[in-house]
Amino acid sequence: MGPLLETKLHVPRRRRALIARPRLSDALSRGAESGLTLVSAPAGFGKTTLLAEWSAGAPADGRSIAWLALDQRDNDPALFWTYLLTALATAAPGVGEVALALLHPPQPPIEAVLTTLLNDLVALPDDVVLVLDDYHVIDSREVRDGMTFLLDHLPAQLHLVIAGRADPALSLARLRGRGELAEIRAAELRFTPDEAAAYLNGAMGLALTAQDVAALEERTEGWIAALQLAALSMRGRDDIAGFIAGFAGDDRYIVDYLAEEVLQRQPGPVARFLLETSILNRLSGPLCDAVTGQAGGSARLEALERANLFLVPLDDRRRWYRYHHLFADVLQAHLHDEEPDIVPELHRRASAWHEQSGEQSEAIRHAMAGGDLGRAADLVELAIPATRQGRQEATLRRWLEALPDELIRTRPVLSNGYAGSLLVRGEVEGVETRLRDAESWLGTTTGDPQAAQSPSGAMVVADEDAFRRLPGAVAVHRAGQARMLGDVAGTMSHARRALDLVEQDDHVGRGAAAALLGLAHWTLGDLTEAHRWYTEGMASLDRAGYLSDVVGCAMALADIRVAQGRLREALSTYEWGLQVATGHGPIALRGAADMHVGISERHAERNELDTAEAHLVTARELGEHAGLPRNQYRSRVAMARLRQAGGDLVGALDLLDEAERLYTSDFFPEVQPIPAIRARVWLAQRRTGDALAWARERGLSPTDDLSYLHEYEHITLARALLAQHAAERAGPSIDEATELLERLLRAAEEGTRTGSVIEILVLQALAHQARGDGPAALAALHRAVELAEPDGYVRIFVDEGPPMAALLKAAAKQRTTPRHVRRLLAAVENTAGSTPVDQDLIEPLSDRELDVLRLLGTDLDGPDIARHLGVSLHTVRSHTKRIYTKLDVNTRRAAVRRAEELGLMSRTRGR
Amino acid sequence: MNRPPDRYRLRVDGHLDNHWSAWFGDLTLTRESDGTTSLSGVVADQAQLHGLLVKVRDLGVTLISVEAIEPRPDV
Repeated sequence: MGPLLETKLHVPRRRRALIARPRLSDALSRGAESGLTLVSAPAGFGKTTLLAEWSAGAPADGRSIAWLALDQRDNDPALFWTYLLTALATAAPGVGEVALALLHPPQPPIEAVLTTLLNDLVALPDDVVLVLDDYHVIDSREVRDGMTFLLDHLPAQLHLVIAGRADPALSLARLRGRGELAEIRAAELRFTPDEAAAYLNGAMGLALTAQDVAALEERTEGWIAALQLAALSMRGRDDIAGFIAGFAGDDRYIVDYLAEEVLQRQPGPVARFLLETSILNRLSGPLCDAVTGQAGGSARLEALERANLFLVPLDDRRRWYRYHHLFADVLQAHLHDEEPDIVPELHRRASAWHEQSGEQSEAIRHAMAGGDLGRAADLVELAIPATRQGRQEATLRRWLEALPDELIRTRPVLSNGYAGSLLVRGEVEGVETRLRDAESWLGTTTGDPQAAQSPSGAMVVADEDAFRRLPGAVAVHRAGQARMLGDVAGTMSHARRALDLVEQDDHVGRGAAAALLGLAHWTLGDLTEAHRWYTEGMASLDRAGYLSDVVGCAMALADIRVAQGRLREALSTYEWGLQVATGHGPIALRGAADMHVGISERHAERNELDTAEAHLVTARELGEHAGLPRNQYRSRVAMARLRQAGGDLVGALDLLDEAERLYTSDFFPEVQPIPAIRARVWLAQRRTGDALAWARERGLSPTDDLSYLHEYEHITLARALLAQHAAERAGPSIDEATELLERLLRAAEEGTRTGSVIEILVLQALAHQARGDGPAALAALHRAVELAEPDGYVRIFVDEGPPMAALLKAAAKQRTTPRHVRRLLAAVENTAGSTPVDQDLIEPLSDRELDVLRLLGTDLDGPDIARHLGVSLHTVRSHTKRIYTKLDVNTRRAAVRRAEELGLMSRTRGR
Repeated sequence: MNRPPDRYRLRVDGHLDNHWSAWFGDLTLTRESDGTTSLSGVVADQAQLHGLLVKVRDLGVTLISVEAIEPRPDV
């Protein structure tokens, strides 16, 4: 950032020939008590001067003031917030430190970043004022959204002053309503007749009569810039009266009239200098020399400043200046009108100078302004690496969109860069075209760019280095594109190709490709391969210094280990990842919260519920910014599991609903869909009917083909079928469940998904038990326990409740009992007190009672039911009474509802 | 209207010199007898129109009106 930063944060120095305007300074001071002060008026009304003057007097008033002069480039949110936070820190050291550190990808939503800033501000002992000058240049929606959030949550300690030529496009209604908005507008800023007199006669040393002053004041309407120009015109002039008469009687646009007066009175070389340098945003001696082709620029600038010719110093060392905006516009208009032919050359010189100074942005701006888009395209191509590193994606996007397609198409590196820019934003549209454009040049003979030709012209390469690496870079982008489109096979083949093509020392490229390959394998259920590639990717990204991505990879690796049933390894990976995320500085990296959630889940499985809860609390306290996008929903799912373990099933469902609202896949395989998790909670509530309805809606059937991605859902289906059997005591459910479980077991064993194997064996044990086959049940349980013991699985057994308790008791009696069984038994007995709030049926309904119950679900009244069943009404009534007792209800409607929940009505509805 | 307008007339208070025409995208500049200046001509799109309005704003002149005008019939 360097020198640019200094000029943007620099409070403009007090200018000579100023008059005191205490009424406005006082208004500002009063306004600064409010949350927001608007200083809104066109150019030339002295906004900046007033604010600078007021800021200079601030320390005496005990006020800390931060200053930020905005320009077009600050529409890039990365730049805007960096500058804003840096500015604030000058007035209140330490404020915004966390926020600044968070402004890196993967950047959390700006609200999360700003929340940390707000927390810092609230802790300040003294108030701070932040002045944003030239806010009218901001038209970015992203910046606006962030500013809106800031204004909506403005703490008492921060006072904003926004100065600009137009009212900002922010919603000010709330602030206005609360009386938190102060305004100083053109009407207040105009010179009053007294002020005009003080300025003209006092500060500018003219000797005007009251009438003269009045005439000028009327003609200019107190417009300060105009009065300035008028004063300059009149200095050293003999016939002031004549001048004023001529001026007052003229219809011309004031600035035209006066500026011409001023320009005409300049010596030729000076006038020429002014015209030629008017294209520059900021002026320095060397830069002006380059543009004008003359020497002595520094001296000239100093002389212009002394003569008050609308030159504003931008720093304390007289290196950088800018023209007053109005004056610059007039100069440029004259330039374009009188010498349009030299304008492109002037811009070219400015562009070249900035390029050599390493100021890409300005070099590109001038190239574009001068109409030399070919040069601009080359500069953009060369600027891509730095822009990426500075995370200025919005800036890069704007540049690319300003270049015509014909130019981009002949530049393979630029085309590929464009594709990358789209992918980073999550946009797929247009990526294919750009990649094809880049690839069309790679099909040519190696190493000789000159030989490449296409109908649209010869190939152009500005960044030779990047061109050499292009095949690999394109492959990485293709892999990313495939991932975004959900094309697993494509992701895999492109990622493999990328790894072949990318250079050994291109750690970022290798890391990205390897991680994408790992993800593809994971989605297909190839857990071993997935783990291998993620490990490689993580190592490369570590070498590249992309710590946040390292944490992301660690997350994936740990999750894969969980699927493989290697819980201890998963836990240590989560802990390692947490180290990386928290160990390198005071700010936790994004992903730290995810690690805590992962650790929590492992402890929960071991039935260490207090520890599990503590980690979730820690995760929450780290703040939203410490979590990757998925953490919002994932942490809630983990909490739901804890609630369920504690017996609060309704609470668990609430959390699952919340999780669903916050769900994002972030391209990871969705191995545990929330609706399936919810169905399992329903099963715990004995709402078998609802669970079966879920399976029907999902189109799940026990005879489906099996796949890794649907494993969790199919296991859930098996559970539902087992529950259905338990409720109905008859029907095909038990057989269907058993067959499904057998197939699931084989698939899980093939895929080395030991976690799933254990769960399936547990369910098989319960299924055997339900059929009355004790030995088979114990055998299955034995296998499950053997697999579960090394990694400490507990809840996978305990969650099954009383039926499992019975099995464990039986297993404990056997001679060859694994120690783990006793542990499980102890755990089950400990949780006996926390059985689900919804009790299961103490006594099942008899077949006859079921018949009556089903008829209760129709419109038939008592006598009709009796007739339908061929029994007396008295019999129906006693059945009904017993049904009510068993279902723990008092009314027919409640009985029907309860029966529906229990899945007892799932057969014919008595139609 | 179905097609977006491509000709506009901007009217500002005060008389602007001719050299401003180039600055305002080569629009035709006419100083009117009522003390205003009108700038009229082809405007490529809305983005360009708003760019012109910003230039007007930045000159500090008072904007009187902006209107879309019908294209002259082909002769």
